[in-house]
Amino acid sequence: MTREIIKVTVFNNDIGLSERFHWIGRLLEGWSIYKKNLLGKIGLTLLFLFALMALCSFIPPLVNPMYQPMAGVDPDISYSVGPSMRHWLGTDFMGRDILSQLLAGARIAFMVGVSAAFMSVFLGTVIGMIAGYAGRFTDNLLMRLADMIMVMPALLVLLMLAALFGQLSIWFIVLFIALFRWPGVSRVIRAQTLSLKHRPFVEAARVSGASHLRIIFRHIMPNVLPLSFLYMTFQVTSAIIVEAALAFLGFGDPGTVSWGMMLQWVWKTGHMFRAPYWLLPPGICISLITLSFYMLGRAMDEVLDPRLRKEGGTD
Amino acid sequence: MELRRYIGRRLVQIVIIFFVILTVLFLLFRLAPGDPVSRMIDPNLTPEDAALLIKEFGLDQPLWMQYLYYLKNFFTGHFGFSFHYGQPVVQIIGDRLPNTILLFTTSIILSALVGIFLGKIASWHKGKKTDTFMTLSALVTHTFFLPWLALIMIWVFAYKLDWFPITGMISEEIWLDPEACLWTKALDVLHHMILPLATLFLIHFGSYLLIMRSSMLDTLKEDYIVTGRAKGLPEKVIRNHHAAPNAALPVVTSVGLSLAFSINGGALTETVFTWPGIGRELVFSVSHNDYPLAQASFLLIAIVVLLSNLVVDILYAYLDPRIRY
Repeated sequence: MTREIIKVTVFNNDIGLSERFHWIGRLLEGWSIYKKNLLGKIGLTLLFLFALMALCSFIPPLVNPMYQPMAGVDPDISYSVGPSMRHWLGTDFMGRDILSQLLAGARIAFMVGVSAAFMSVFLGTVIGMIAGYAGRFTDNLLMRLADMIMVMPALLVLLMLAALFGQLSIWFIVLFIALFRWPGVSRVIRAQTLSLKHRPFVEAARVSGASHLRIIFRHIMPNVLPLSFLYMTFQVTSAIIVEAALAFLGFGDPGTVSWGMMLQWVWKTGHMFRAPYWLLPPGICISLITLSFYMLGRAMDEVLDPRLRKEGGTD
Repeated sequence: MELRRYIGRRLVQIVIIFFVILTVLFLLFRLAPGDPVSRMIDPNLTPEDAALLIKEFGLDQPLWMQYLYYLKNFFTGHFGFSFHYGQPVVQIIGDRLPNTILLFTTSIILSALVGIFLGKIASWHKGKKTDTFMTLSALVTHTFFLPWLALIMIWVFAYKLDWFPITGMISEEIWLDPEACLWTKALDVLHHMILPLATLFLIHFGSYLLIMRSSMLDTLKEDYIVTGRAKGLPEKVIRNHHAAPNAALPVVTSVGLSLAFSINGGALTETVFTWPGIGRELVFSVSHNDYPLAQASFLLIAIVVLLSNLVVDILYAYLDPRIRY
């Protein structure tokens, strides 16, 4: 409740009067604020490095087929060995190259994080706008649904589904994370819509005969989108964590290599005390990628929220 | 009076939500590919025993009758027998519940209290080194990948340094020793609990610290703080008695909002540390296709989540008299 109130008061400072193309200027202005933010810069740099990793994931298999993350096995090695010139980060229990798995994991992490976040933010924005705009029964129904989903631990529900339906494919996991993550977004968007609903420009559109759909998507949506973008960064974080945790417990998509799955292999094959070169990299990667998206989100929060900016300080 | 009505309304909501969960779970179990009967009846049972159980669960009846049987069995505590343990599921779950509650509540209360305390200090030193250090370490620990952190903790503190046991909740030789008094046993559990507790604590306290810090900074701008200063009250009194209690309210809210997250974390922690709790039992039963146990653990976790949400709501309404729903 309080959070909604805070958000509403904050965003009242008229992003509502946007003219067409004004957004480019706003974007530049936002970027100039963002640049001053230390955490934001660190986060962006780290993300850039991870993106580079994801891009590089295509290279090792081209060099030599034994560097394929899943199927490639070093013909001379059938157990886990430490770093060497041949395998920079060593190999796993059946002689697969850890570095190429790590690079492929970056690709999966981005794919899972960004697509799940995009879907959940899309759902959350649309549902939040409809709930806020329609009010009354629709609002009540949608928000109770949101409450209900919000209290469910997504990871455990996915576990149950894995038990009943067998192996889940990576896209099913992504879709499910999205279905579980929209309520948080929709609450904030709803609060924002409520404050926009009675602004003069919406009234004007209504009087001039615009349909509800047109008002929602043409007049309200541009004003809530900055908030949606902000929430997207936080959604990416939680999506990556849920997928990694699921894979860690042994219920990931067996056709993909994710960092969580690499950790599961270390753990299940009993290498955690023997192979730090294998235990450390995937965990550091998951932690750092979540950290950098989180820092990105906080920095964007500051760009969008002038009140935080004035406080300045360290973060 | 109003508070009581609010709690009553929340209770009704919770019961409705729980029924929805119960029904969805029922449908999922019946509609998932494969034979629903094989999900409730251990394939290793003799045909006579199996027939008896099929009758008890009404698995030979039409779907709506099965649903009624399902509800009846739920309220009388008949969840069937675990495939793996061969015991009634209720008994297993009942054994595990206290362990989960012990670890879960201790970790949440501890991390919230420490988070509030450190957040207060950070906000007081805003912009200085203490603040930077605290904010940064909160950000970093908060984003650690939990199972990995747990593995690292085990590796460093249990394996390398050998300070703590690697797994489990009790040492058998102490608990089987008839001479051992209650204190030794309690200390033994504590000894096993420190690592999982520390893991959960490290993951959770950061977010509470950050929330407390920013909420404290907001509160310090309020008029009553200015008044306090004008009256010449010592800064310490203003901080601890005027600002902090109000600033802590959003932390309580966030405990409620992050409960689902904490439950996920609890299950992962229990699994890695082989702490005999419900979360671990759920993971275990899912990996071993022990459907009756999985179903009951899941329902119990749902109850725990809903009830702790209620507790947080009541606590919030009680702490903040300005808010009446």
